[in-house]
Amino acid sequence: MSQIQARFFTEDKRYVVDDVPFSIPAASEVQELSNVINKLLEAKNASHSKVEFDFLVRGQFLRTSLSAHMETESILTEEVVEIEYVERITAPEPEECMMHDDWISSADADAEWILTGSYDKTARIWSTEGKPVMTVPGHTDVVKDVAWVKREGLTSLLLTASLDQTVLLWEWNSERNKVEARHCCRGHAGSVDTISVDPTGTKVRLERARQKLKRQQRTPLMTLSGHSEAVSSVLWCDSEEVCSASWDHTIRIWDVDTGGMKTTLTGSKVFNCISYSPLCRRLASGSTDRHIRLWDPRTKDGSLVLLSLTSHTGWVTAVKWAPSHEHQLVSGSLDNLIKLWDTRSCKAPLYDLAAHEDKVFCVDWTESGLMLSGGADNKLYTYRYSAQQAEA
Amino acid sequence: RLEASGSHRSRPSSVLCVMHLEYKDIRNTVGNIPVEWYKDFPHIGYNLDGKKIYKPIRNKDELDDFLDKMENPEYWRTVHDKQTGSDIVLSDDQVELVNRLQRGQFGDVNFNEYEPMVEFFSSDVMIHPITNRPADKRSFIPSLTEKEKVSKLVHAIKMGWLKPRRVEDDGRGRYYDLWASEDSSILARHRMHLPAPKIPLPGHHESYNPPPEYLFTDEENCIQTHPPLWEQQDPGDRKLPFVPRKYSSLRQVPAFSHFIHERFERCLDLYLCPRQRKMRVNVNPEDLIPQLPKPKDLQPFPTTQSLVYRGHSGLVRSISVSPSGQWLASGSDDGSVRFWEVCSSRCMKMVQVGGAVKSVAWNPNPSVCLLAVVILSSERLLSAQQEGEEPAEGNGSVVWSEAEGEELNQGVRLKIQHPKAVHQVVWHAKGDYLASVMPDNTSHLQVYIHQLSRRRSQNPFSRNKGLVQCVSFHPIRPYFFVATQRSIRIYNLVKQEMTKKLQANSKWISSMAVHPGGDHVICGSYDCKLSWFDLDLSTKPYKMLRHHKKAVRGVAYHRLYPLFASASDDGSVIVCHGTVYNDLLQNPLIVPVKVLRGHVMTHDLGVLDVTFHPTQPWVFSSGADATIRLFT
Repeated sequence: MSQIQARFFTEDKRYVVDDVPFSIPAASEVQELSNVINKLLEAKNASHSKVEFDFLVRGQFLRTSLSAHMETESILTEEVVEIEYVERITAPEPEECMMHDDWISSADADAEWILTGSYDKTARIWSTEGKPVMTVPGHTDVVKDVAWVKREGLTSLLLTASLDQTVLLWEWNSERNKVEARHCCRGHAGSVDTISVDPTGTKVRLERARQKLKRQQRTPLMTLSGHSEAVSSVLWCDSEEVCSASWDHTIRIWDVDTGGMKTTLTGSKVFNCISYSPLCRRLASGSTDRHIRLWDPRTKDGSLVLLSLTSHTGWVTAVKWAPSHEHQLVSGSLDNLIKLWDTRSCKAPLYDLAAHEDKVFCVDWTESGLMLSGGADNKLYTYRYSAQQAEA
Repeated sequence: RLEASGSHRSRPSSVLCVMHLEYKDIRNTVGNIPVEWYKDFPHIGYNLDGKKIYKPIRNKDELDDFLDKMENPEYWRTVHDKQTGSDIVLSDDQVELVNRLQRGQFGDVNFNEYEPMVEFFSSDVMIHPITNRPADKRSFIPSLTEKEKVSKLVHAIKMGWLKPRRVEDDGRGRYYDLWASEDSSILARHRMHLPAPKIPLPGHHESYNPPPEYLFTDEENCIQTHPPLWEQQDPGDRKLPFVPRKYSSLRQVPAFSHFIHERFERCLDLYLCPRQRKMRVNVNPEDLIPQLPKPKDLQPFPTTQSLVYRGHSGLVRSISVSPSGQWLASGSDDGSVRFWEVCSSRCMKMVQVGGAVKSVAWNPNPSVCLLAVVILSSERLLSAQQEGEEPAEGNGSVVWSEAEGEELNQGVRLKIQHPKAVHQVVWHAKGDYLASVMPDNTSHLQVYIHQLSRRRSQNPFSRNKGLVQCVSFHPIRPYFFVATQRSIRIYNLVKQEMTKKLQANSKWISSMAVHPGGDHVICGSYDCKLSWFDLDLSTKPYKMLRHHKKAVRGVAYHRLYPLFASASDDGSVIVCHGTVYNDLLQNPLIVPVKVLRGHVMTHDLGVLDVTFHPTQPWVFSSGADATIRLFT
């Protein structure tokens, strides 16, 4: 029974142990290491309650026994191994289920309210507890995407985009619970599939099923064309850059001021959705070959896939980075599953959420510890996940 | 001077002289003449003095001769001299001489023929030369006469009168290079030579007294049968070419009766029997399989089922994708036309048209959103988002009519009534013309070409060539493909004549597709075959693919990728890679890459229609189980 020298450290201030090397059996699993840390903490602090920990060796989550992990990662066992431990994230639990009349195409969550767009040509506003608050009719065709624009106290602005080639801007008074259409943005020649609001809340980028992107502020400010096929997803990286993914197998990053294209990342399959995380500055894309790929948008030379997450068995239709955690993202796919990933453990997702009975079309996070997912079974599920403190 | 007593002179060279003892030397002087000339005369010649030599008085006749032979003891040494006519008795010395001569010895007894040789030229080197003549100068210097001769020859060669003999370059010597490559035929003959096999050495069977186990047993001999078994058998079947026998001693062994026969056979075998090495072809079976690239090198192609479009309640006969790739239209036997969003499998719109839908076709013009729908016995134009259908039904000639009222709300824009049931509609690449097929064995009005912008229809054919199965426009050039049951005819629409007739070796063609480049055609038939025609190559199929187990219902080409697919009644869609090369030298490379399963066989029907997405390497297939499946 061989022993390995290990030193434990953590970023979390609550669970710091002594910085001395320990000799632990090589075949220890995560549970045993967790017990070791707990015992150390109890020795230090009598009022410590048992906490489950997860361990990372060189940035990779420990999933097998320590010796097997070190062998696969080719880490020498003679030296002292640095093991980082974090509090284990518990499985998200489904909280609420909101029934719609038809398939849910998109969802956008705010701190208190959830906005959903559905195939029954309406958008709805719900509270985070699951109560329907408002229905926003007005489109003549399926609503494909919704987005919050601004929240100022009681009134808020929201946008809905639909297959009838228009985008409607609504103003909603939450106190009086009334919504009125403010503006209709026309100008697309095809269906508008996704919209995205920039961080400052003033400009909107729309995307159409036919290749062009328009920046709008009431009227189109600019048209960015460059994709050869339908654009499936668009977002603002920051207030200067826009990123779009399309069916012509490329992700393009555009400069807003000039209207020119900055970078092109080329993949091999159709991109269904993208998501950008300012915390880790990575772009995640889901595509029709069932992989989720992480890209660095700063690379100048084309296509460098940093990481490829494979576990889905159908098209990945939605990915979203966690707003507060730089390593977590959630993905939804046509195989009815939602998967929660940690990029440090790249071989398997952290959790699989199999709440839906049909295809999943959209996922989202809230700041307050909720995950949302909506799909073709007309249901919008919310899950509570343990709020992780943002790592400094 | 001769002596009378018969002594002979001893001289080194012995000369025989006829000696006369008692008589005078009456040498006959007549010379060498025949004696018969003096036959009648009493004298026989003349002597030296000129006197006649008279014959003896009495001639001996035969009786006398005989008596002499008997009685005269000296008969044997009596010699008759023809010249003098008298008998001479030889003396002993003379007889001895005669004997010596007859034996081949020298006549003179004193002559010693073995006297030691007097060597005139002895082997001893003498100090004195034979001749002491001083040598001439010409024996030391080069010969002047030869020099003259040589200069004459040289002059002749220089003038060209004489050609010098070519000297063979024998510098290296002549020898046989064992390892030089010989004439292959010679070598081949050497290798091919098969010597006759050696005859086996005699064993115990051939022994004259073999042990009893080597003799034939009674059953082998088969004493009962007559003749015995060994004789009855064919010489080729016999184990031994003879019957082993047992003898008690060697001298009782008789002569082998078959000896000569055996030797003769062996000789024939050696020199007459032709023997040849049989060249067996050693074919590695792996070499016969053509070297096709692996499917994973030919990505991208559809591999898995991604989406299922459910909603129809009857078998879906036909599907068509919009040119943008966002919408999918399908027509089914339950009388409805449905529009689906490709990426979400959502049925966006459903239109009831009141009759089973045989065929749908989306207008390839991207600016116009129009769908042609064939309803059983009618054809309608639907415009997508607002679809226009072309219904075709009724009797008489083709009638165009606008849609109104309820149908207009549904999306119908135009109706085209046809005299008979329409089975297929297909658009031209530009989107203005469309062709409809009304199969009928008897009439020539099977194909109609309609022009949308002018609301006109025409029937281009005046003669019936067979039951038309399907038609297609050429993607680039003004050609029209008409597939009947056994052949495909290509018509030039500008020149209004038939350019080619492709003979498919199939019994019943079901569907046809034209390559986007325009030079290749595939057709699927109900006898499970798919033929690829290369129009530049020949009118016979370039390749026939027999991948399916049942009838092929639909074939399709991809617009951009080098893929084609075939759908069949066994419930599978087979996607093949088909690269067409730009240079006209290489034949197309056809590699089957994937069998896509997913459809459920219903009522013995499987997949009814297949079509590719216009831009992505995806394939849609519709089946008898009322579903449409997207494979990516």
